Amino acid sequence: MSTLLQEIEAQISGLKTGVTRQNIGTVREIGDGVAKIEGLSDAMLNEMLDFGNGVVGLALNLEETEVGAIILGDYTGIKEGQEVRTTGKLLQVPVGKALLGRVVNALGQPLDGKGPINSQTFYPVEKIAPGIIRRKSVSQPVQTGIMAVDAMIPIGRGQRELIIGDRSTGKTTIGIDTIISQARLNRAAEAAKDTSYKPLYCIYVAIGQKQSNVARVMAVLEEAGAMPYTIIVSASASDSATNQYLAPFGGCAMGEWFMDNAMDALIIYDDLSKHAVAYRQVSLVLKRPSGREAYPGDVFYLHSRLLERSARVGEKYGNGSLTGLPIIETQAGDVSAYIPTNVISITDGQIYLETDLFYQGIRPAISVGLSVSRVGSAAQIKAMKQVAGRVKLDLAQYRELAAFAQFGSDLDAKTQGQLERGKRIVEVFKQPQYNPMPVEVQVAALWTVQNGLMDDVAVDKIKDFQGRLSEYLSSRKTALMDKIRAEKALSDALIAELKAAVTEFKQTYR
Amino acid sequence: MKLSKQTRREGRQLFRCCLAGETLDENRARQAVAAVIERKPRGYFAILSYFQRLVRLEVARRSARIESATPLSAQLQEQIQSDLTRRYGPGLSFAFTQNAALIGGVRIQVGGDVYNGSVQGRLAALQESF
Repeated sequence: MSTLLQEIEAQISGLKTGVTRQNIGTVREIGDGVAKIEGLSDAMLNEMLDFGNGVVGLALNLEETEVGAIILGDYTGIKEGQEVRTTGKLLQVPVGKALLGRVVNALGQPLDGKGPINSQTFYPVEKIAPGIIRRKSVSQPVQTGIMAVDAMIPIGRGQRELIIGDRSTGKTTIGIDTIISQARLNRAAEAAKDTSYKPLYCIYVAIGQKQSNVARVMAVLEEAGAMPYTIIVSASASDSATNQYLAPFGGCAMGEWFMDNAMDALIIYDDLSKHAVAYRQVSLVLKRPSGREAYPGDVFYLHSRLLERSARVGEKYGNGSLTGLPIIETQAGDVSAYIPTNVISITDGQIYLETDLFYQGIRPAISVGLSVSRVGSAAQIKAMKQVAGRVKLDLAQYRELAAFAQFGSDLDAKTQGQLERGKRIVEVFKQPQYNPMPVEVQVAALWTVQNGLMDDVAVDKIKDFQGRLSEYLSSRKTALMDKIRAEKALSDALIAELKAAVTEFKQTYR
Repeated sequence: MKLSKQTRREGRQLFRCCLAGETLDENRARQAVAAVIERKPRGYFAILSYFQRLVRLEVARRSARIESATPLSAQLQEQIQSDLTRRYGPGLSFAFTQNAALIGGVRIQVGGDVYNGSVQGRLAALQESF
């Protein structure tokens, strides 16, 4: 009881007894989650407004006689004439490692029923991106575990790589695979007590997704043991447009905390098409002038300021990074639509997924011709560069020849060889979902196919051959695999060893 | 009523004509309304509605409402008036009222600014801190 009394006394003594100054206004109009407020002469842009009873708004429009604010949460209790106060605070979300393994909403409040989040640090959702002085060029790889990506469209830590494609072409799967791959690498480094490896924490932001999809993603990540390294920010289709608009900014703030504290993080925005739609809704109810396809004029700035916050900062500033993987859903493969072209121009490359390839059974359905990584090759490990340097060209040549070969059957031996090699490379790049591959296994498989050691295997047996070869190398040749992983390059000695191992395996393969 | 951009622009121009320095000249405002009603320009009803809104906001901005639990002495009222005039400039209209719910102290509202030195305000702050 005495402690209670002391606590109350401390609270009372800490209370300011002076006169408080507040800036207030009154609600003139409320509807569609947007309030028009008269007064509030001191309101700042993006300031949190207190509507009382725990309801909070965000000042988005500062006009001559009124303030337009979006309501975060339930707005049905707000009445015309109600008093509103400024708070002097910008909208902020909790950040830190306490969020790892949790599912939160756009404001960082828990949705997973695992109790409150014990975080003392908060970051504003809107923050200026790191400037040119703080930045450093991308030089460390993000191992996605997807062979086609790691070999041909490598992603570096701090890069923004767009994943673009029609519905149901495997866009989310690429993101999920990347998260699972990071979790495996993080866990392996923890188990080996490897201090040189910087763990990569992941943030998955679901914007306007079906709740069942978010639950499925969560179940997959939990099953793969990736949740301890992952934060899920969910603003599902049933959430208000306001929350959908704020979710990626909240998730980005959580990622920035890792970057600012000398750690690496990866954020997946799934997807920015729905984000643009939510922002369009907010803008239209705020009566902002609309432009092309009724999107507001600042929809480009909306995405550019979000994606610019992904960066790699220099050693002087902690050497942290935030890698961004935004996802865009196209309609009937139209990459020249408004939002896709905007995001393509902002990002450092794109992974383009094609419906035709998907239904041909080429999964991940990456279109090699249209996919590009503008900065990631600097981050690729040397061993991968050695084996994958020519793959993109070989595949492009194969596609051209394959189209040409449809018109005639008489082909010279060289063309025939190129076609056969191409077919095998395509097969090697096929990969089941949620099954990322370690980089050394990727290197070994690519080296095998590039050096003609799979030429005598039938095309329909390639996946079986590759699977068994991977198993053989991982279980029987662990020393070789460890060397490739440690040295990160294929020396002549290593190549000889790898050749001997593959030849040995081929003798046993039936 | 939906107001067009032009209506708002004209209402704003009318309002600016009625300003003497930074404060609203009541006589000019009355004359302006009478002139508009007499001439009846296109959309005059909407213009006057918007003008009325601007005048209402301006009047609210220049009104000081001083609430206290007990009546304030003339000297104290004068001091409050002079302090507020110094802070917000001349042309404020003052209204002194009694409000027993404040329990003690004074609450002053000038436009959107509220200075709360009442016991009720302190109790509310205490409640929030708990």
